[in-house]
Amino acid sequence: MIIEITEKEGGLLATLNGRLDTRAAVEAQQEIQPLLNNADKAITIDCAKLEYISSSGLRLLLTIRQETATKGGKVIIENMSEGVKKVFLVTGFINLFEIR
Amino acid sequence: MVRHKLILPNDIATIPQLKDFVDTVTKEAGMEEMETMTLNLAIEEAVVNVMNYAYPKDTKGTVDIETTLDDGCITFVISDSGMAFDPTAKEDPDTTLKAEERPIGGLGIFLVKQLTDAVGYERRNDKNILTVKKKIH
Repeated sequence: MIIEITEKEGGLLATLNGRLDTRAAVEAQQEIQPLLNNADKAITIDCAKLEYISSSGLRLLLTIRQETATKGGKVIIENMSEGVKKVFLVTGFINLFEIR
Repeated sequence: MVRHKLILPNDIATIPQLKDFVDTVTKEAGMEEMETMTLNLAIEEAVVNVMNYAYPKDTKGTVDIETTLDDGCITFVISDSGMAFDPTAKEDPDTTLKAEERPIGGLGIFLVKQLTDAVGYERRNDKNILTVKKKIH
């Protein structure tokens, strides 16, 4: 499983593992449902173990972000690698999330 | 000049094969890790675009990926026999929009353009031919 979700004070913690390429992102579409259901809370996404992200992976993160905008929660992204951060910079996604 | 070729079906389940292929090429070119990662992303986006849109839904087709390594530059030629479509003609997304306003799609080809040095399209012999060039630093 590419996404592990655990409870964290005030919300949920999602840990991303490995490569979120197009194939993995399609499989992960179901896995993000608990995050969407809790989009009124703080959702922390830990990218320390995320090696790679494609545009379909970014789409998943945007879906979560937009759901929090509707329901009043927020998304915090932490521990991005330099490579993943570059993708966030190029696409402007760096401005859409709280980055730590 | 070193050449490689990979032919994939229009099935995104084969994307890991594409990664292995690109890794082989970047290793030969002596590319560093970050460049390899961003080039992998650009090529994946270009190929996925073909897999998802070139052929009518539920129709089997293929995408050819040929690379040449020459003169400090890697060239990828990605071709298919699907419907005529020039991805380079697509308008770039507005990356300054707020989260609520950002459309869910439209980033793939933008990433190809942003992460490589040149992208060109031509329609020849009933094929879509996308050429992507990346300089080796």
